[in-house]
Amino acid sequence: MKKKLISALLCAAMLALAMTGCSGGGSSDSGSVQEESAEAESSGSEGSGEAAAVEESPEGAVDADFAGEELSILVSAGWMDNRYDETIARFEETYDVTVDLQTIPADQYSDILQSKLSTESCADIFWIQSNPFAISSVIVDPEKYCIDFSDAGWKDIMPEARLSSCEYDGKLYGLQIWHNSPEYVMTYNKTLFEELNLEIPSNYAELLDVCEKIAAEGITPWFLPGADGWQHQLAFFQIGGVYEEAVPGLYDALNENSATFADNEKMLEVLGQFKELSDKGYFGEDWIGTDSANMANEFGDRNCAMAMANSSYIKQIQEETGTTDEYGLFLIPLGDNTCFPTNPAGPTMFGYKGTEHEELVKTFFDFVTTTESLQEILDNSPAYTNLDVNDDGLEQHWLPEEEEFMNAVDKSKMNTPVLQTGTKYTNDYWGDFGADMISYCQNQCEANDVLKNMDSNRAEAAKIAGDSAWE
Amino acid sequence: MWFLFVPLALYSIFFLLPSILGIGYSFTDWNSRSMGEVSFVGLRNYIEIFTSDKDYLSGIGHTLMFTIVSNIVKLIPALFLAIMLNEGLQGKGIYRTLLYLPSILPYVIIGILFTSILNYNNGLLNSVFEFLHLGFLKQKWLSDLNVVWKSIFGVDAWRGIGYVMTIFIAGLSTIPRSYYEAAQIDGANFWQRLRYVTLPMLSGSVMINLVFGITYGLKVFDIIYVLTNGGPGHATEVITTYSYQLYSSGHYGMSTALNTILLFITAVVGVWIVKSMSKQEVQQ
Repeated sequence: MKKKLISALLCAAMLALAMTGCSGGGSSDSGSVQEESAEAESSGSEGSGEAAAVEESPEGAVDADFAGEELSILVSAGWMDNRYDETIARFEETYDVTVDLQTIPADQYSDILQSKLSTESCADIFWIQSNPFAISSVIVDPEKYCIDFSDAGWKDIMPEARLSSCEYDGKLYGLQIWHNSPEYVMTYNKTLFEELNLEIPSNYAELLDVCEKIAAEGITPWFLPGADGWQHQLAFFQIGGVYEEAVPGLYDALNENSATFADNEKMLEVLGQFKELSDKGYFGEDWIGTDSANMANEFGDRNCAMAMANSSYIKQIQEETGTTDEYGLFLIPLGDNTCFPTNPAGPTMFGYKGTEHEELVKTFFDFVTTTESLQEILDNSPAYTNLDVNDDGLEQHWLPEEEEFMNAVDKSKMNTPVLQTGTKYTNDYWGDFGADMISYCQNQCEANDVLKNMDSNRAEAAKIAGDSAWE
Repeated sequence: MWFLFVPLALYSIFFLLPSILGIGYSFTDWNSRSMGEVSFVGLRNYIEIFTSDKDYLSGIGHTLMFTIVSNIVKLIPALFLAIMLNEGLQGKGIYRTLLYLPSILPYVIIGILFTSILNYNNGLLNSVFEFLHLGFLKQKWLSDLNVVWKSIFGVDAWRGIGYVMTIFIAGLSTIPRSYYEAAQIDGANFWQRLRYVTLPMLSGSVMINLVFGITYGLKVFDIIYVLTNGGPGHATEVITTYSYQLYSSGHYGMSTALNTILLFITAVVGVWIVKSMSKQEVQQ
C-alpha cells in the first residue's frame, strides 16, 4: 500500500514538474522572459486597444498623453547596443512611458522574429537587417505586419539609397539610421608602404607587384581570416560595381533571372585572381585556418601590410597595439576595380501593425529622428564616425583617413551597390559561397562551380519566395 | 500498471509525436516563408538530396566514415588502457580520473581549446614541435584536407576514450581472477589470455560501447561544428551540419528530410546491433 502511495505521489510530482517546465518554456524565447511577462501584464492593465489621447499644444507641437504605457522593441544584439540608451531614457522621461528593450542573441533573432510575426505576438517595434529585397523576403507580408509610414515627416532624413531598403511596393515601412563609412575596403599600413617605396595598387597587376615586394620582406601582404567563414568572400562581393561595368544591366538581369553568375567572365576572372593570390601565399601561409581574433596585433606587429576592414578599424589598431604607424584606405583592386562599395543594407526598424500603441510607436520614430536624438546616437557609437542621414544640423566625426579616401573616389563610381545587396537572394548564401571559394582554392572544384552553386541556391530561394521571375 | 500511463503519455507527446511530425514535415515544402501554410510535395525533398549539386551524399558518406573510424580509434586504445588500469598499477585511481575528465568537458570548451592548440601559426602543438626542433611535424591541423579528419578523430578520441574505458573497466572487474590464473598455468601468453578469456567475457561491455559509439557517430555534430564547422570548404560536412545549415537558411522541409534519412540509417543499424546482441546472448 505504501509503495503504491509513494509511486502515485512521485507520478503527481513528475507531472507537476513537467507542466511547470512547459508553462515556463511556452513564453520564453530567450533571456527576455521577465520582459515579456512584464509586457503582458502592462498591456493587460491598460485597458488595451484604446488610442492615447493626442492634443495640440499652444505652440503647435503635438503633446500626447502616453503616461504609463509601455513600448516594446525587439532587436538583435549589436543593432542598438548602448547607442540608443540616452535617447530611450529621454523618450521615457519626456512621455512618462517605459521602453521594454528585448535584445535577442544574433543567431536566434531571425527565428524568434519569424515565430512572433506568424503568431501575431510581435513587439511594438521590431528590427530586421534590411536591404532592397529584405522586406519581402524577411517580413514576407509588410502590408499585414508593418505600420505604413509613407506620410511620416522623417522620410526625408534618409538618403535615396537607404530608402530602397525601407520601402516596398511604393510604401514606406522602415527607418534605417546607419553609418556610411567605407566598409571592407583595403586598410593598409601607410608607413610601411612608404618605407618600402610602394604605391597604392590601383589594379590587379599592381597589387600582385606590391604583394611580391611585401612578401619578400617576410611580411604577409594581405591578412585574410578564412576561418571566420564570412570575411574572405567580401573580396568578391564588395566590388559589385566592376561586374556591372563589365556587363551593363547585369544587376537587373540577375534580379529578373535573365542572367546567371555562372559563366560571367568578370566574376571568373576575379575568382581566378583570388586563387592566384592564395596559391602564391600572399594571404598568409594558412589563411584558411586563421581567424580575425589576432588581426589588430598582426597589423601592429607589422606581420601584415593590408587587410579588408572598415575605416574605424584604423583607430582600433592604433588603440589596441599602441603602434605609431599611420594607416590608410584604398579600393579592393581585384578585377581592376574602381567602384566604391556602396551598401544600402543595415539594421532597420519597423512598427508592428498589430500593436496596441500605434501612436506611441509613431511618436518614437519621430523622436529618434530629431537632430538631438541623431546626435546622441552618433556620439554614443564609438565605432562609427558618421550617420548617413540628410540633416545639416548633425555634427559628423569623419576620420581624416576617411575624408582622404572618400575624396579620392570618383563620385560617379559610388552608385552601384555591392553585389550581395544589389541582387536578390545573394546575401542569403554568404556562408555557402565562402565555403565554395575555399573548396576552389583547395582545388576541390572549379571557379565556375562556385558560381553555379550560387545560381542554384538563388533559384532555390526564389522558389521559396514564389518569385515569378524564376517560375 | 496505471502509473505507467503518465510517463508513457509524456514520452508519446514530447518524443514520439514530434518525431512522427518531423517525418511528416519531410514530405512538405515547409520553409521560413510558409508562415504556417505547408504543402505536401511527396518525395521531392528526398530526390533533391540525392540529386542536388550540394553533394549531400558526401555528407552522408562522411557521417558513416566518422562512425566507423571514431569507434575504432576509441575502442581499441580504451580497451588496452582499461586492462592496464585494471592491473595492479600504482595510482590507478588518479589515471582513471585524468582519463575520464575530458568526457565531462562541454564541446564548446573543447572547441575553443583545440582550435587554439591546433592553430598553425601560434598554436601550442606547432610551437612545441618548433621548440623541439621538429618543425617538419608542423601541420595545418584544421585547414589541410589531408590532415583535418585526423585532427577531428584525435580530439574526439581524447574526449571519448575515458568514457569507453570506464565501461571496459566495469566489465573487466567482473571477470574472475581464477580464469587468468588457470590460463597462465596452461602457459597462455598475454595475447592468448586477451583472445580467449578477456574478450569473450567482455562482450557485454564491447556491445554497450559499440551501441553508444555508433549512435554517437551517426548523429555527430558538436565536435565537427566547434572544430571546423564543416570546413575547410565542405571537406568535413556531415548529415547534421548540412541539416543545421538548411534549417538556418529556412529550408525546414529539406532539413527534416535529411534528419529522417539519419533516423532511418540509425534505426537500421540499431536493429542490426540489437539482433546481433540477442544472438550472442543465446549462444552464451
